[in-house]
This record gives sequence, structure tokens and C-alpha cells, in this order.
Amino acid sequence: MTQTRIAAVADIHMGEDLRGHFRPKLHGIEHRAEVLLVGGDLTRHGTIAEARVVADELRDLPIPVIAVLGNHDYHSDAEQAITSIMRDAGVTVLDDEATILSLNGTTLGVVGGKGFGGGFAGKCASEFGEPETKAFVRHTRQIADRWRQALHGLDSDHRVVLSHYSPVKDTLMGEPTEIYPFLGSYLLAEAADEEGADLIVHGHAHLGTEKGLTPGGIQVRNVAVPVIGTAYMVYSLNAA
Amino acid sequence: MDAPHYVAARVQRALAEDERTVELGIRVDVRGNQIFLRGRVSAPERRLLIEDVAREAAPGLSVHNEITLVEVREPGEEEHL
Repeated sequence: MTQTRIAAVADIHMGEDLRGHFRPKLHGIEHRAEVLLVGGDLTRHGTIAEARVVADELRDLPIPVIAVLGNHDYHSDAEQAITSIMRDAGVTVLDDEATILSLNGTTLGVVGGKGFGGGFAGKCASEFGEPETKAFVRHTRQIADRWRQALHGLDSDHRVVLSHYSPVKDTLMGEPTEIYPFLGSYLLAEAADEEGADLIVHGHAHLGTEKGLTPGGIQVRNVAVPVIGTAYMVYSLNAA
Repeated sequence: MDAPHYVAARVQRALAEDERTVELGIRVDVRGNQIFLRGRVSAPERRLLIEDVAREAAPGLSVHNEITLVEVREPGEEEHL
């Protein structure tokens, strides 16, 4: 049976002091997985110098690398430059869009983006009141709408969603509940549940836990480095 | 003297907003004249930087740095979904 093995990690938070530390951990990854997904927070401060370190760590890997940015990568208002640096290093950076890879005769569709917060059903912000509150929630809703559209048009054997923020509460277990609205939004899970996916991978919640499920039954994995404690995890999807 | 609640909040905010740290994942507890820093970071230098920034944000208090280092291991077995 042909399997698609997906390596995934998030929150690698590279800086000059970690140059050369991550790449050796990726040695032999081509024997373990067909693709590497990186779920945002590539940098600490979102600077161009840090992005260059990340690019050098991920450049010319023997398997394709697909990444999204995280909130830290936006901190210095250089997210577009960071995206360009990563793309120049051969990394596919998804900004609320889809890509399809052909791996061992199987197609893998990946829809990805940063995602955003707002909270989880019953305990979340809504588009009501001050313009600042409405803008916060609208940002998440618009992202979820773009993911829904990208998934809707995706014709592939497997479908994976790559996010930075969490779509579910399950994988936040360990974080203070007071900050859940800043860690993710149920709107992200809702979009995936409506259109269908085999797996959602995210990061952002360093104190969270690895495994969860959406209300519709899609597997969710939090692969933030402090959570998984390894250079990456590998998830294997059976032939469709 | 500020209430411990506000001191902890000030230190936490400094850790998040100071350009040297930009660290959101550190727990800060204040008990009497002592500050406890807890969390996990990836490099020993960061552990010390966080302590410096915390000390500056709460001068006069004694800082207990209980931050540990994340050891990134080699990947283990794959999971079949």
C-alpha cells in the first residue's frame, strides 16, 4: 500500500544563535517522509536577518518543504520580504492558498496560511461592537473563507491543512484557558470540516498538547517544537 | 510597593515587548520580593537574556530563573493516521 508520510514541525524560532543547529536534525529526512510542513513562527522577531538563517537551514532539502508564517514572523512588518527569502530558498510559502504535490504517484493537496485567533464556539469573540473587535474577528473569518474556497477547489488524493494558529481547543490543553482566544479559532476547523481534510497541522501553543480532533473528526496535530520535543513528527496517510 | 499582580504583569509584558526577548511563553509568578520565571527556551543565552529583562522590569526583587532548555531530539516513530 502506498503511504504518504508527512513530516511536520512548527515554532522553530530561528535566530543567528541557532544557525547550523536545526539542519543536522533534518539529515536523512528523505528516508522518513515525502514532504516537510513547517507551521509558522520560523523566526523570533520577524526580521530579515533571522529569515536568512531559516532559509539556510531549509535550503536544498531532498524533499519538498511547505511553510506558512506565524505571528512572530509578522512582528517587524517584513512578512513579504520573509516570504520572498523563503521562496528563493526553494520553500513553498502558502498565504491562504493551496498547492498540490505529486508524491509516489499519489497527490497531496495542502491548504495553508497563518490562521488567527478569536476563540472557540460558545466562548469566542464575534463581529460586534467597536471597530477594533470587529476587525479582529473579521480577519479570522476572512482567512477561514479563503481556506474553504481553496479546499473546495482542491482535487487531490489527500488533503492537509497547514496553519500556525490552532483550529481546536484539544491541542491547547496545558495553556491557560484565559488566552485561548489568542491561540486559535473554531472558524478554522469549521472551514476544514465543511470541505473535508485528512489532517490539520498547527503550532503556536508551546504549552499545548500534540493530538486533537475537530468536531467533524479531522485529526489535528500541534507540532510546536516545545510540544513535540523533536525536530519533526511524521504522520502517515494510507493510500486513498 | 506595587501589588505582586502588577509586577508580574509588567515583567510578562517586558518579556513579550522587549526586542531582546520577544518571548510570549514564559510564566511569571511573584511571591513577596521574589520573582519566579518558568518555561522552556531553545538556547542557553536566551535563558539568561530573559532573566536580564525580568530583572530590569522589576528592580530590587530577587529573580529565580527556573526556565529549562528544550532539547530537540531525533525524530521517533511515525504515526499512522
